Parts: sequence; C-alpha cells; structure tokens
Amino acid sequence: MQILSKSKLEEALNQLGKNAELFVPLARGEESGFYPWSSYQAGSDRLMLDALNVLLPPKSVVFPQTERMYSFTSTGPAVEIKETFESPQPRIIFGLRACDAAAIACFDDVFLTMGFIDSFYQARRDNTTIVAHACYEPGANCFCEAMGVDPTEPVNADVIIRDAGEVYIWESKSSKGEKLTAALGSLLENKEAAAPGLKPFQQQANYEGVAEKLKGMFEDPIWEQLAATCQTCGICTYVCPSCYCFDIQVKSWGEEGYRFRCYDSCMYSEYTQMAGGHNPRGNERERFRNRFLHKLQFFSERYGKPLCTGCGRCIVACPAGINIVEIINNIKEADTSVRA
Amino acid sequence: MKDITLKIREIAARLLQSGQVDIFMGWEKGQEEYQTRPFFARQEEDVEKLIFNEYSIHNLSNDLLKYRDGQEKIGIVVKGCDSRGIIRLIQDKQIERERLYIVGVACPGMKDPLQAVKDNSGFFPTAASAGLAKKCGDCIEPNPVIYDELIGDKQSPRAGEERFKLVKDIEDMSVDQRYQFFEDIFSRCIRCYACRQVCVACNCRTCIFDEMKPQWVGRETSISDNFMYHLVRASHMAGRCIECGECERVCPVNIPLMLINQKLIKDVNAFFGPYEAGIGYVEGVKPPLSSYQENDPDDFL
Repeated sequence: MQILSKSKLEEALNQLGKNAELFVPLARGEESGFYPWSSYQAGSDRLMLDALNVLLPPKSVVFPQTERMYSFTSTGPAVEIKETFESPQPRIIFGLRACDAAAIACFDDVFLTMGFIDSFYQARRDNTTIVAHACYEPGANCFCEAMGVDPTEPVNADVIIRDAGEVYIWESKSSKGEKLTAALGSLLENKEAAAPGLKPFQQQANYEGVAEKLKGMFEDPIWEQLAATCQTCGICTYVCPSCYCFDIQVKSWGEEGYRFRCYDSCMYSEYTQMAGGHNPRGNERERFRNRFLHKLQFFSERYGKPLCTGCGRCIVACPAGINIVEIINNIKEADTSVRA
Repeated sequence: MKDITLKIREIAARLLQSGQVDIFMGWEKGQEEYQTRPFFARQEEDVEKLIFNEYSIHNLSNDLLKYRDGQEKIGIVVKGCDSRGIIRLIQDKQIERERLYIVGVACPGMKDPLQAVKDNSGFFPTAASAGLAKKCGDCIEPNPVIYDELIGDKQSPRAGEERFKLVKDIEDMSVDQRYQFFEDIFSRCIRCYACRQVCVACNCRTCIFDEMKPQWVGRETSISDNFMYHLVRASHMAGRCIECGECERVCPVNIPLMLINQKLIKDVNAFFGPYEAGIGYVEGVKPPLSSYQENDPDDFL
C-alpha cells in the first residue's frame, strides 16, 4: 500500500498546492475552518488534521457564502450581460471528514441531478478534488453512523487518507485521485501500515423510520415544545456542512451592476417573506419545523437520504443548546397515536 | 446552588399551580453537566426539570419577546444582567411589568456552556479549562435590579477598576491600526445574526437588516457589507445595551462585540451621563438617545 509519512506532510501539501488552490483544516486565531494552505502561517495557524474536525465546514469551497454570478449593464429596458463568473480553477479539499464528504454528496444531488444543473456549482465541483480523512474516533457530538455515513469509508472521495500513527495510508479512489498520487511522486512510499479500529460513538441517534413517521407529524404539538427555546439565529444553518439554501440578490450603481448569490437561512423570517406581505412561516415554530422536516423528511423523500450527516456542529454552536440527536430521538419515541 | 435550584422549583410549582403564571422560564440540564440551557415550564410536572447551576448563563429576558403579543403571565428567573434586560423591555414597551413574576438570583458569576462544549468538541485546539465566563468578569451588577422575589446572598461586582481598558487601548491606536483591527474582526463575520437574535435590546419588529424595500444593508459577506452590518447594529445599541454579553458569547466566530458595545457605553456616559442602561426602573424614563426634546441644544436631530 502507499503511505505518506507525516514528516513529509508539509512538503506534500506544498506540492499539491502548486497546481491547485489547496484547502486544509486550520485553527486560526479565534477561527476554526478550511483555509487556503497558501495562507498558512506557521506559528500562529495550527493545522487541524490531528483534530476531530473544524467548526466551519468545507462547503464554501464548492459553494461559497457569497458568489458573484454575472455582471451587467442596463440602459433603459435593455440589459446586457457583461461577464459570468463561473469558477473552474482547480481546487483540492484536503483532510475533510466523512460527514463533510457526504454533505458534498448531498450538494451534488441538489445541484447536479433531477434534471437541474447549476452551472456555477458544476464549474467548481468538477474541478475540485477531495482528499477525505477517514475517522476512527468519533467526538462528543458525532453521530454520522446513525445518519447512514460510514466514517471510515468516506463517500465522494478521490483519495482517502487514514491515520496510522506516524504515517497516513494513501488510497486513491478515482482518476482525480490518481493525478494527486502522480503529483506527489516519491513523497509517497510503498509500505505496510495498519489503520486503527473504529471506536464507539457517544451519541446515539435512532433515525430508523423517522423520515416515514414525520409524514404524519406536521401538526404535531411536539414542534411547539422542541422549538420553544430556539432563537432563530442562523448559526446552525451556516455551520451545517449540508445546508445549501441561498438567495440571489443584486448590487447596482447607475447602469452597472452584478448579481450574486449568498447563503440564506430558513431560520430568518425574511426567507419566506412574500411580495404581497404574507409570510407563511412567520414564527419560530414554523421555521424550526421546516428546517428539521427538510433535513429529516423532505430531502430523504426526494434523494433517498437525510440532509444531515451527523457532524455535530449545530450541537456545538447553538446558543440555546438545541440538540438534533435529541430531536431525532424525541420524534422517534413520540406517541402520535394519542394525538390524532 | 442546590438550594437555589430547590427554591426556584418551589416558587415555580407555586406559581404554576395557583395559575399565577402560565409559563415559567428557567434553565434545565442538557446532555452534559455543562450544557445547561433555557427551559420553559408550562405545567407543575415540568418543574422538576428546572435547575440553577454554574452554567445557567443564558439570558432568558430575550425570550420574553416571543410572548410580547400574547396575554400569558410569565414567571422568569433572572440574574443581575438578565434583570437589566427586563428593564430594557419594559422601557421599550415590549412587555408589561404586570405580566411578569420576576425571580431574582444574586449571581455568583457563571461559566459558559458554549465554551465548555467547544472545548470538548474536537473542533478547536485544546484549551485550558475555562473559569468564569468573560462577560461575568466584566459584570458591574450581579444583583437583580428588578424582582418580585429574591434568592441568594448579595454579590459584589466583578468588573475591575479599569472597566474600559480594552476600549482605551483601541482608542489609542492610530487610525490605520484601528481600521486594520476592525477589518480583521469584521471580515470573519458569517452574518448568522445570532448577535441580533440573542440581544434583548434588538427588539424591533422589523429589523433594518430584514428590510428589502429598500435594502439598507447588503447581504454579501464582504468587508463593506459586514462593516455596515456591524456599524448599524452597534449604533442601535448606544445607551441601550444592558451588558449581558450574550452577543459576544454566542458568536460562532468570536467577534469581540462587547468591546464595541462598551465603547458606546463609555461615550454615552461621557456625553450624556452619568448613565447605565437598565440599572433601575423609573416609570417614563428613557435612555438618553431614545428621547427627544424640542429645545435640544443641537440643531440637527
């Protein structure tokens, strides 16, 4: 098997960064997320490959929080598109976990299947190579396995690396992965190494049958109770690796302008504000319910899997201590027969 | 703290049982000891879930906004800073004093559950176990300033002599240094609006950031839109921030929002003071920048 010695990691990252924009998990001051390796400052930044994960997910590499779409000039009724900003330059996400790789697979479903192709997403995605980092030690808030994600066999990976102590086992999984293998050349060695065994999960979510059960729970009083303390900020949606809702807006001055899209959050009332003044999800209970129905029921109906990959970030960052594992289990255990 | 928990449960049971309140706002234990979080009891059976421990930091007064249009009578547990939030709401005419039964707890200082959960998350380099939350170190009033019933022994403020030291450090910077400082902190904002949502002073029914016609503040996460967001947010806090520190505590990218709020507190105090927002309720009295007089010495606004 091929291995990458940890002592050669920086050299390998430098090598990979030559032909592509390379994103790695970093702790940077107060921040924790995926940042370009080219911006890495030894001393103040800390590479987080030995940690469980980082707070801000890698979704921004394929789906930035703010993305310019096109610029235009408008003179009278005539509008001329000047430039479209599709972004096909090569990128590599290095060291993302199975939960985050699975979340990008959800994006692929949304932006590239069912007869809809989002060309902006496609330009980024087709030119992004994923080096996934197999996970053997679930953290305090991890529950990926319960959501159908195998932490040791990340989906969507072009390369899987496995931490075997002094070395990473390097497994190429696709032609994109082969290119990285070739680029690393002699930095990779042929040696035997053993990946560790998967440690037990501390969080126990029981998602089995939940999508089906939710079909009959739209008006269930449980939502009132679950949403009671939600403050409808957007933290959960922005730290979520699989939340993909966006808004398209415009900035213009005089005859010039550009359109861009930016993350939106179903937690905001403005998200569903309609032109005539009506808001179908005017209160926090309705918005909260929609978020969890989308994650646990609607997405599963459309794409055959939940829109939650069990990374635990929302549990970590929620100001009100709302815990999606408890929500899944509460729904699972709810006795709906008495409420009809 | 066990005694305080028992006392809170006793009061909540009494109020719910007698129908004196419909909802009782307190805290419950989350999965871990450090994950104390808000909990609203509606029936006597719920009362056993209520706890008060060193992680009962969440300011519940903001949650009253959910009920501002209702008729419910609400029992609520408040610490010093939280009680100032209640004065904010009453002064801003968001809730009537008569609808509230306020249980004050003299606050010994809290630890931050969000910090604890982050420390245990594996998402950050391992930090030394944190002591008191930062906001509690800056506390000028740990004792509830408005209440119907008071629990616990009077506590002393924890803010040191140099309350505005960090503000002064920023003031002493050169213009370029200061710009760089603000650019650094605002560039990392992800515009999740958690600072707004947890803020008891952010009680506008339609927030300027949600206005679309016209759209006052752009939605790009760019340095200019982020600056605009934070400038507008901050200026709305002038004379109104009650220093509960929740904005800074919940920020997922750790923007030092209280530093900005403290600058405004310092300035309002210097120009119009002495003034501390929400420190005592006097009927009809408004914050300095919330009142208007025709004979105002300034000719504009």
